[in-house]
Amino acid sequence: MKLNHVYKTFYPDSPKEVKALTDINLTFEKGEFTTLSGESGSGKTTLLNIIGGLDSATSGQIFLDDEEISAYSEEKMAKLRLHDIGFIFQAYNLIHVLTVRENIGFIMKLLKFDDKEIEARILELASILKIENILDKLPGEISGGQQQRVAVARAVASRPKLILADEPTANLDSKNSERLMAMLRTLNEKEQVTVIFASHDKYVLEQSKRIIVLDDGVVIEDR
Amino acid sequence: MYRHLAWLSLWRRKTRSLMVIMMIALSLSGLLGLQGLYDGMITHLINTTIRSDSGEISLYTKEYRLHKSLDYRLSPLSKFEKELSRIQELSSYSVRLQQEGLIATAHKSLGATIKGISLENEQNFGQLDAFITEGEYSFGKGNKGALIGSALAKKLHLTIGSRVIFTAQDVNAEINAISFRISGILKTGNPALDEHSVFVSMEKISAFLNLKESATQIALRIKDTERISEVQKELQILFPHTDVLRWDELYPLLIQMQEWMNIFNLASYAIVFIVAALGIFGVMLVSVLERMREFSIMLAIGTPYKTVRDQILLEASLLGVAGFIAGAFLGWILLFYMSTAGVDMRSFEAGLELYGYSAVMYANMHLYYFFQAFLAVFFATLLSIIWPLRILKKMKPIQVIQGKML
Repeated sequence: MKLNHVYKTFYPDSPKEVKALTDINLTFEKGEFTTLSGESGSGKTTLLNIIGGLDSATSGQIFLDDEEISAYSEEKMAKLRLHDIGFIFQAYNLIHVLTVRENIGFIMKLLKFDDKEIEARILELASILKIENILDKLPGEISGGQQQRVAVARAVASRPKLILADEPTANLDSKNSERLMAMLRTLNEKEQVTVIFASHDKYVLEQSKRIIVLDDGVVIEDR
Repeated sequence: MYRHLAWLSLWRRKTRSLMVIMMIALSLSGLLGLQGLYDGMITHLINTTIRSDSGEISLYTKEYRLHKSLDYRLSPLSKFEKELSRIQELSSYSVRLQQEGLIATAHKSLGATIKGISLENEQNFGQLDAFITEGEYSFGKGNKGALIGSALAKKLHLTIGSRVIFTAQDVNAEINAISFRISGILKTGNPALDEHSVFVSMEKISAFLNLKESATQIALRIKDTERISEVQKELQILFPHTDVLRWDELYPLLIQMQEWMNIFNLASYAIVFIVAALGIFGVMLVSVLERMREFSIMLAIGTPYKTVRDQILLEASLLGVAGFIAGAFLGWILLFYMSTAGVDMRSFEAGLELYGYSAVMYANMHLYYFFQAFLAVFFATLLSIIWPLRILKKMKPIQVIQGKML
């Protein structure tokens, strides 16, 4: 994935105008395990949302496999998100009327995977993420740590090319954070999934292979 | 996929689904009840007029209704009766002889109309006996009794057994007087009868007016009320020198009143419909808006907008149909009760009587009410999801997820 001169301005030409991102130029290779870091309000979540097509850039271009996705229509972007991108949100964002099993299999079901294949993948991920015993529970019936693991399972179930995780450890204790990072690292290594975090969690930063630091919407460090 | 999601969403949020269904059902049953009651009030007004006076069609001589003179009477009666007996569309008819005059008690006198009738015929014709509120449906021994309209009896302070003197011109323009004892008081709901009429035996009034084989009105009941106009045409050909008039031609005021009432009813109905529709709209709208975050999550992780839209549409439709079924059932119970036991409005009796309405109102019940109610629910449901769907289409899911919208 390549970002060329990406800018994002909220409320342009108004007194409330906020320059969230300024001239972002980045390239992400397949299989990367990267963290976008910075203080609150530095623009890391905005950048993650733009990479995932959840928000649009005010100007600039974004390429995925040499195809400019920043020019995609909303419909085409939704298709891209469905097929190629997995999201892990800070607040889990599971679908509350669906059981854990149904939440994990949700995207695969939309992609019309075979029922047997869906069930096999659910069991495989449940085993890796140690959530086998809660598969038939509703999200409201399980803990925050378990919900986050279900969110990870949902994000990786259909084997997307890219996983975007926004502050995935923010609501987890250190034990659960370690477990979650270990799982994502395993998935990254085993399935060659590109993972990009937005986080200022020290532990996440320690685990990352690459760290991009943002300050006031500008990349100040890339190591 | 969307079917499964819609079903799960309804089933796993039982309380919310039940609340929406109940809201729709209650609005709908109220709507049905009101429609039936309004319809029943108007039907009652027309029915009492037809039963107590006009029939579906009445025959008069051409000049009678203008001059109200006995010179313009239907005679000989046997000729008319012979012709009428051949008409198969008639279920019954009633021959009446009426004259205007003065009714007097020892203390008071008022203008009134005396009507000669056959009690038996009137019973078959329109169950006149059912309108008796005091006394009996009889002219007593020697036909010396009279039935009097309730409002007129009240004005003259008459009770059962009271004596009245009726003074009127006979066919020779001689002024005669005849006395009667009140044997029954009746309330037809037809103000013209209740406030001005005294019913006596046909034989007695014929002798009093020096007439034989004569009537001023022949009122007819038609078997198939859909065919009134056709029968009217047939009768007009049969009796070319006679006025053959339908009930609505005889009572233009009633029609006018009915039209005014229809407008009033329509306005009230529209208000109730709007309130019910807004109720359904509100509940459905809230039920979609409160789940914007859930729909946004679905859209954010790649669910096509079409899937979310179809899910919302299906959920709303299922709730609408369930609400309609429950509402139609409740409405049917309400209508059934109001059409059999009636609604007691005696507290407003005086006001209602002024317009000819009964103090106990009975609702009508027709299949088309339910069809209209279904359309009302259908459109209210559809309207309630158009706006949230527009919001959903326009918004960026991430803004909702991050709490920047809604």
